[in-house]
Amino acid sequence: MATTTNSNNGTDVIVQATLPEQELQDELVARASVPPRLTKEEAERRKQENAGLITEQPHSLWYYSWRRLKRNKLAMIGLAITVILIFIALFAGLLAPFDPNMQVLEYSTKEIGFQGNVLITKSEVDPNQTIPIPIGEYRIQGDRVIYTTEEGRDKSIPLSRLAGSSEKEWHKTPTYYLGTDRYGRDVLSRLMYGARISLTVAFFAELCSLVIGVLIGSLAGYYRGWVDDGFMWFTNVVWSIPSLLLIIAISIALGLGLWQTIIAIGITEWVDMARIVRGQFFSLRETEYVEATKALGLSNMRTIFRHILPNSLGPIIVIATAGFANAIIYEASLSFLGLGVQPPTATWGQMIHDGYGFIAAGSNWGLTLFPALAIMIAVFAFNLFGDGLRDAFDPKLKR
Amino acid sequence: MLSFTIRRLTYSILVIFGVVTVVFFIMNLLPDPARMMQGQRADLATQTAIRHELGLDLPAWQRYVRFLGNVAQGDLGRSFTSNRPVLQSIWDRFGATATLAISAMLIASVLGVGIGVLSAIRSYSLFDNAAMLFALIGISIPAFVMGLLAMLVFGSWLDWLPVSGYMWEGGELHLEYLVLPMLVLALRPVSIIARVTRSSMLEVMSSDYVRTAKAKGAPWKSIVYRHALRNALNPVVTTVSAWLAGLLVGTYFIEYIFNWPGIGLQAVDAITRSDFPIIQGTVIFSAVIFVVVNFIVDVVYARLDPRVKLS
Repeated sequence: MATTTNSNNGTDVIVQATLPEQELQDELVARASVPPRLTKEEAERRKQENAGLITEQPHSLWYYSWRRLKRNKLAMIGLAITVILIFIALFAGLLAPFDPNMQVLEYSTKEIGFQGNVLITKSEVDPNQTIPIPIGEYRIQGDRVIYTTEEGRDKSIPLSRLAGSSEKEWHKTPTYYLGTDRYGRDVLSRLMYGARISLTVAFFAELCSLVIGVLIGSLAGYYRGWVDDGFMWFTNVVWSIPSLLLIIAISIALGLGLWQTIIAIGITEWVDMARIVRGQFFSLRETEYVEATKALGLSNMRTIFRHILPNSLGPIIVIATAGFANAIIYEASLSFLGLGVQPPTATWGQMIHDGYGFIAAGSNWGLTLFPALAIMIAVFAFNLFGDGLRDAFDPKLKR
Repeated sequence: MLSFTIRRLTYSILVIFGVVTVVFFIMNLLPDPARMMQGQRADLATQTAIRHELGLDLPAWQRYVRFLGNVAQGDLGRSFTSNRPVLQSIWDRFGATATLAISAMLIASVLGVGIGVLSAIRSYSLFDNAAMLFALIGISIPAFVMGLLAMLVFGSWLDWLPVSGYMWEGGELHLEYLVLPMLVLALRPVSIIARVTRSSMLEVMSSDYVRTAKAKGAPWKSIVYRHALRNALNPVVTTVSAWLAGLLVGTYFIEYIFNWPGIGLQAVDAITRSDFPIIQGTVIFSAVIFVVVNFIVDVVYARLDPRVKLS
């Protein structure tokens, strides 16, 4: 708000209009006592006061964007969740309480927080592998361990076949925090490993569509004319085909698997990127600095990639974030249909598919709900962050 | 106006031509259909016969020309499993999909525009923040996840609504079958339409002519609905039409989960049975519907808003 001494008539009228009546009167009274011109000392003092402000160096777009982003609480929550998810995906091997593919068939579809009771035995085929045997109770007798099976029958096993030397090493009571699936696998561990697949696919698929979209968009926007017509026709063709069907067709054509899923999503989802980049190039081409590159005789490629592209990075990043969230959805959808990364690899979509048969029976809702929540949280976090990025890069376009 | 229409029409046909070409190319990459049809008991003689019947023994460019010709005549081949003409099977199922899509979009448009306008005229209020947060959540939930959650809550836990089946059963109308899939389907478009309406309204509300309307003392309602909303609707109409076109071409997961016999469910079934002609036909049919809806919207739009024609 304007101080009493700093009177610039044009702007003050508007400021005053927002003041309550009493304040307005005070302001007018105060203003009447202000000398029409600043004294020398006052002018000097202000100069010094402002000197500090002026010497502050201007910062890059990134600096200001990050500063605006930091103030946006929701975006920061989104970023935090994203970072946690990436952390879980990277360190799933250390964080997961179980091997995600370890089946204990006796523990099929156990409830949340179920506590197992197993003896860890060495596999007869491969001594490096261990097989858990669910038990009721056990006691050591000589060099054998006598235990009761789940069904209540007594059995015994020599100590030498147990994994590890101490009792602590071969007898475990692990907790299945989110219960188990149909094959007695730990849901929590599978969720953690599923994050790995989700994020890997989304990251590389988005990278792929980023490259295609930026290339097509920048060439179309820079050269215009028939190049633009050709590329935009192709973009419209891809846009007219239902994305999901196109992704499915491509991944069937390539054979199902991890990189096939990545490519299928990547070469389908570049349309938005191409359009945005093209629009950016259309307007940036008219700017003076691009004219200057022409005067300097720079090559077209240099102008495109060194001068115009860096100035369109804001919108590109925003679209890429949204694309990342969409890629997570597509990956989940594909694996829900059994057309993504193949079992036994844990994926969220696959887990939902395995679990949803139970819904009709009205039991084991956790098998559907937990992976569903995982997908929702991941996509939501990315969208939150993406929205924040958009506001940060382009404060005019709040939401 | 006429030249604009003709230009758009030509372009639409060019796009459909492109789609058919892309589909041909991808289908060429798929596993050999002659072997797929035979399954495990493939013997060479039958395979060769099938290949010949489908024209697969011809060189690629001849097959391509033949394919183009067939599509132009509306011949999309026959289903591997039922041996019915593909176009006929798709057309039979299209009514169910259209019912679902149109009813969902009706709800989505009304709710979305309403929420968007309220959010914009009370921007940054509690209502606005809550609505926009919910909209973001709505965008973040994949259709099949939402469908399953709705099934779990309303079908399984509360037992309010049926979760599986079509509304026409034995010649009688059971509207309750429509409710869940329709609402689930509407969720994402509602969220997106609300967001688009809000940002468009905010932009218009800060424009000069709205300021003028305020300055001359026009009543608030008339400012919002007559001056602002009418001008803010452009991007909203685009969004609604794009979504309608998108939903009309199949809502695969919703139909699959709720067992709704539309073209989406048929496509998913075809995928699990490797019935390639149905998949291929669905892609082409969808693209045609999509292009046609967009064409109609473009032309109607140009008629209503002359500014469009110029750009």
